[in-house]
Amino acid sequence: MKEIKKITIKVPQAYLDFMNQIFEIEKKSTNLKEENSIQRNLNKMKGILEEEFFKGSSTIGLTYHNPIGENYSDTRTDCEATIAGTEVENLEIIEVIKPIIFYAYQENEKVIKVIVQPAVVIVQSKNITL
Amino acid sequence: MENTINLGIDLGTTNSAIAKFVKGEVIIFSNPQDYGRNTLPSVVSFKKDKITVGNKAKEFLEKDPKSVVGVFKRKMGTSESFKIKSINESKTPIELSAQVLKELKTFVNTGDTLDAVVITIPASFDTIQSNATKEAGIQAGFKQVVLLQEPIAASLAYANMKKEREMKDGQWLVYDLGGGTFDVALIKIKEGEMKVLDHEGDNFLGGADFDNMIVEKFVIPKICEKYSFSNLEDEMKSATGKFNAKYYVLLRRAEEAKITLSSKTSAEIVIDGFEDEEGNEVDMEIVITRSEFNELIKPNIDGTIEMIKKIITRNSLKPVDVQFTLMVGGSTYIPYVRSRVEEVLQIPANCEIDPTTAVAIGAAYYAATKPKEISKGDNNKKKTSISIKVSYNKASKEKEELFAARITGDVTGLSYRILREDGGYDSGIKKLGDRINEDLPLVDGAYNFFTLAVYDDQNNLIETDIEPIGINSCFVISGQPIPEDICLEVDDYDNPGKTRLKLVFQKNSILPLRSQGISFPLNKGMIKGNDDDFIYINVLEGSHLALPEANKGIGFMEIRGTQIKRDIAKGSDIEITISISESRDLTISAYLNMADQEFKQPFNPKERHTPIEFLKEQVEDLSDKLELEIQEATDKEDYETAGALNKLKKEMETVSEETENLTSDDVTDKRYQLEDKKRKIAQEIDSATKNKRIQQVKAHYFEVKEECLKMLDENGNDHERKTYNDIVAQEDAFFATNSPLKIQEKSDEMHSILSRIRWRTPDFLTSIFQWCKNNQTRMNDQTQAKSLIDAGNFAIESQNWERLSEINSGLLNLMPKDAEKEATRIGFGL
Repeated sequence: MKEIKKITIKVPQAYLDFMNQIFEIEKKSTNLKEENSIQRNLNKMKGILEEEFFKGSSTIGLTYHNPIGENYSDTRTDCEATIAGTEVENLEIIEVIKPIIFYAYQENEKVIKVIVQPAVVIVQSKNITL
Repeated sequence: MENTINLGIDLGTTNSAIAKFVKGEVIIFSNPQDYGRNTLPSVVSFKKDKITVGNKAKEFLEKDPKSVVGVFKRKMGTSESFKIKSINESKTPIELSAQVLKELKTFVNTGDTLDAVVITIPASFDTIQSNATKEAGIQAGFKQVVLLQEPIAASLAYANMKKEREMKDGQWLVYDLGGGTFDVALIKIKEGEMKVLDHEGDNFLGGADFDNMIVEKFVIPKICEKYSFSNLEDEMKSATGKFNAKYYVLLRRAEEAKITLSSKTSAEIVIDGFEDEEGNEVDMEIVITRSEFNELIKPNIDGTIEMIKKIITRNSLKPVDVQFTLMVGGSTYIPYVRSRVEEVLQIPANCEIDPTTAVAIGAAYYAATKPKEISKGDNNKKKTSISIKVSYNKASKEKEELFAARITGDVTGLSYRILREDGGYDSGIKKLGDRINEDLPLVDGAYNFFTLAVYDDQNNLIETDIEPIGINSCFVISGQPIPEDICLEVDDYDNPGKTRLKLVFQKNSILPLRSQGISFPLNKGMIKGNDDDFIYINVLEGSHLALPEANKGIGFMEIRGTQIKRDIAKGSDIEITISISESRDLTISAYLNMADQEFKQPFNPKERHTPIEFLKEQVEDLSDKLELEIQEATDKEDYETAGALNKLKKEMETVSEETENLTSDDVTDKRYQLEDKKRKIAQEIDSATKNKRIQQVKAHYFEVKEECLKMLDENGNDHERKTYNDIVAQEDAFFATNSPLKIQEKSDEMHSILSRIRWRTPDFLTSIFQWCKNNQTRMNDQTQAKSLIDAGNFAIESQNWERLSEINSGLLNLMPKDAEKEATRIGFGL
């Protein structure tokens, strides 16, 4: 069997902390009722981390994904979950404390993404409504 | 084959770990499914078709106790078994421990045969419990299992770290406070023999209790002080409570705060995202100080100290008889635990080893001293003759893709597991039949690799002929490419008053496309309400190396003073985003930073958008340009070019005249026809004068090249020489493009080598410094300028050129924006 080269990438914690902060701001900005253009600046910041920061190296950048509302099962090793409620079937992500952070780089013209931070989430069964 | 066991496992109540002794060092194998963590939660979950061990099982432990089992180590050696509802079977603590051991085997990536191991056990384990642990090892496929007591393992890790294989006679304590259990043991070494003299423990105390205490005794009361809740604690802690989900969020935040408090004196806990009973939004930040946290856990820590005191009394010892307390287990990272134990007992706390992996490390050191007792005959790798045929889509934009495989050969006792390379998916270990059907989740915009591993009944890896599974989720294969470059017309700072093209999407890029925001400072200001103030945004299709006039306009947007909310200053940023959908709809959006205002306009390419005013302006510019080029060519006696341009003159005049006659509300196609004509003339001017421009940029290129070579000979390094040679090697290619822009690009690259070298040469640095000194009055911080100048004079005196370079940068930073350009031009021609 041909083994895949196991990629272990250590992204400095400061970068992850920075991404987590952007994520927090994004979360808060969506709750704002007044009209605002905060999302624009956030997208810009995300764009810089994704495309500008590492220009000139094989690294493409850092992106994050907010898995809110997605289904959850024990095969999802991209999330660290805590289950709320009593049911364990038909789980859904109801709260995201930290997002999934990906590190992308290019190898032989292929874009490879590696998870450098699993999401920290709270999940709950869709079968019940509290 | 290795002659010693070398492999050590810490089979813990809450967490386990595996380590190996290799050539004098111990390697801890990290958990491949847990982002480099070294430990595996000792929790096993059962479903009809699969068994999961570790973190994922732990998540379900509390809520699904009928299928998930943890802390079974406490029941080792008892006749008790755990009834598992999902598979309708009972599992003994031995079988469960064997599952954890089997999972740990999959951490080992060195390809070794795993047939012998040292497994650690608590000091409190009796013969039956010890034998049960041994049996678990055998069930996990180890042929030889040697047991070692945990406090001894920790002590060995310490001794080896200290490089003291032979420790001096004496006694010490091993204080092991983990995630959920506490143990303390008194160890004695006499004439090289280490043994456990006494021990105590609490099976229900650990770090998780501290997180709970922060939430219950600190956070919840603070929330209730500020907001109205009649029964918040119950609503949070009850599984059916309204705020049960919030309770777990707080537990996570409390854990983070606890970890922060190990290195800082205070930590914040953010509480938000729900409402109190009066409808007020809860949004607060609580600060917990280290002393407040210490106060919370004090009773528990004092409880552990009481146990130590019992041991000391029972063994008729005085604190001075004990050399130190060796701290083991993750919770001993808490500074208070260390200091309190030391303070009360008056025995030094020893925190020199990594508390989470010490036991596994010690086990591996011990394993390195134990000979293997397995004959070579037993050691043959299990061979199977299965063949796997796979089928799946190699490219997909779906969220999941079905992976199917057919297995031929004997699959009895075999299992499989599929993992995604980025660590985001684990199918769990499943029984292998003659078919596999799995929905594999894909990460969008990346190449997804999966591995399919096949194991025997003891989790030994079986060799198969399967290649890694690769699914491309980057683009849709049938995506359409764009036939031409898409460009934005921007100011040409090198030729004031003129414009050039900025490439936004390159020819053949696949639709849909969306650019990142492109920011520019505005070259003019705009007054609110003034209709004469405007900004044009012009998007063109065609080669980005051509002149703007020669390309086809596909989108044009104007922003007028009447549309803006406030005055906009010259130099403030405009950010332009361009997107093209799969069906070629173009959208331009422009954002004025200063006004915090966005303008967005979709363009349907079928409707050409050509404002007459803009067309008139372009035609006028082009006409002026033509005149200028003819004049220049005639002056240079380049009659061939002048002749070619003169031929265009008549046509230009017609276009100018007709455009001039257009009314601003003309509804005919005339404007489009004129635009096409204008474009054609521009293309012809472009090709007639290209030679002239090429000659200019080539001459500039050779000038820079010569200067660069000279500098390289004098002061260049290998890297700069290589960059220079690379550019020279491409000369034929970029000259052949006949594109002035391409050649200019290479001149710029050459120029940057030149600048780099110059910034190391004493003459250049001194002259820059001199220039800065002469311009000191222009600097915005005179005190700093003066101290930098003094330092610079000293740097020149002591010939410290590196320092002078830093000082120059500092001085230039104090100057207005373009000063660097100005300074570097002084006396250097280029």
